[in-house]
Amino acid sequence: MSAAPALDLGSIQDRIQSEVQRAIMRSVKGVEYIASSGPALGSTPKDILSIRGTMRLYHYRPLADEIYRVPILIVMATTNRGYILDMVPGQSFIEFLLKRGYDVYMLDWTAPKPEERSLRMEDYVLDFIPHCLKRVQEDCGEEDVSVIGYCFGGVLSLLYASIHADGPVKNLICFTTPIDFRKMTLFQNFSDRRYFDVDGLVDAVGNVPPEMILSSFEMLRPASRAISQIQLWDNIWNDEYVKSYRMFDRWATDTLPLAGEYFRTITKDLMWDNKLFNGSMTVGGRAADLASIKVPLLHAVAEHDHIVPYEAARHLIPMVGSADKEEVILKGGHVSLVAGPNAMKRLWPKLDNWLCGRST
Amino acid sequence: MSDKVNDPVALWQKMLGEMEKGFNSLASEALSSPQFSRAMNQAGGVTAGAHKQLGDLMERYLISMNMPSRSQMVGIAERLQTIEGQLADIKLLLQETLKQGGETRAGATPARPPRTRRPPTAPPPSGETP
Repeated sequence: MSAAPALDLGSIQDRIQSEVQRAIMRSVKGVEYIASSGPALGSTPKDILSIRGTMRLYHYRPLADEIYRVPILIVMATTNRGYILDMVPGQSFIEFLLKRGYDVYMLDWTAPKPEERSLRMEDYVLDFIPHCLKRVQEDCGEEDVSVIGYCFGGVLSLLYASIHADGPVKNLICFTTPIDFRKMTLFQNFSDRRYFDVDGLVDAVGNVPPEMILSSFEMLRPASRAISQIQLWDNIWNDEYVKSYRMFDRWATDTLPLAGEYFRTITKDLMWDNKLFNGSMTVGGRAADLASIKVPLLHAVAEHDHIVPYEAARHLIPMVGSADKEEVILKGGHVSLVAGPNAMKRLWPKLDNWLCGRST
Repeated sequence: MSDKVNDPVALWQKMLGEMEKGFNSLASEALSSPQFSRAMNQAGGVTAGAHKQLGDLMERYLISMNMPSRSQMVGIAERLQTIEGQLADIKLLLQETLKQGGETRAGATPARPPRTRRPPTAPPPSGETP
């Protein structure tokens, strides 16, 4: 048994002084926090190439003097806004790609209107994505396009690529993309077919409200929101911490509704019948078999992802038919994999290393 | 080591972290039970059913208070989206016209850089490895 460490009175005095100063700063900064708005997000200069209802296609203005031949189309998850990949200058994945010489497009989403409740999986996979790829090809004059899909954007990209094996996708990159939906255990329980009446819900509300989507995400870690607020108060004297908190908090709560029919298909085909994993998935009557994907594929997954656990994501690489394929497991969670300091030093350079040689 | 043992702030932060993990883990067990799923979806079903009725009721109430209802606000948002869309179409049309005329001017989309970039011979530093 070791002796108890001796108390250093001088250091305690310094610590008390520092805490008193922080307490004063908390009061001052707390008022500032309430009175001010957060940083402007998604401000990298871009042009709108196409708008069709809930769909937006953006082209970001190049920031390099010379760019790679093959452009990138990023397909964002349908539940959240694309600015998670374009937070603020210096912490933007888009800006990083532009500075590394890529030509970047993004397929992003806005809230579907009430009359868009009838949008189906077919509309996303067989209409929106092909439409955007065509617009990208027309805009840049290149046939080949690399596609990056984040989370459910990855699922949509995989469905597209598996149906259009001869399409323009040259490289496919998925970030934390679920394949085996049985392993998303809490979501499975929330949508247990014995108790969850998806037809009743969609018929009653049309588009699934964002509050419901947000609650289901928050229920995965119910204590985290309260603890994060306590941590915010602890660190409110620290401008960088507050800026980062505001960026991520705003994004996390800026959840989109989901088109009713589309949500019905996700629930029945993916959550209940696990068709993507079973190889029986069809979209608009066309088989979406992952084995038919032959293009180079990179799958980045997060070690501590509470939304898409590794067990749900790990099957992608064995299931695709590509000869050139790689899975990379990085430290971090579902969001910190793609944005923030963790992503800046891990995922972004890794992606650049993988993609640069395949973009000429 | 002794610093951390003596530092009440570090102890507090550690305790918060542990509390979060512990509570999340405990909650996760409860939330993954079939009983929770049944209770949640029963409540959710009732909520969904009541949602429309409540919406209709609120609509009538707001009209009586001479205030815009949610559907009116959604209508305005839709009109704004349509206007945004039309502006984007006009911008696209202008860009196409400028391209066809071979003109460039200040404010127009700048000329694209050549697509001739080659990967660096040595990969750039990748920072910390996973």
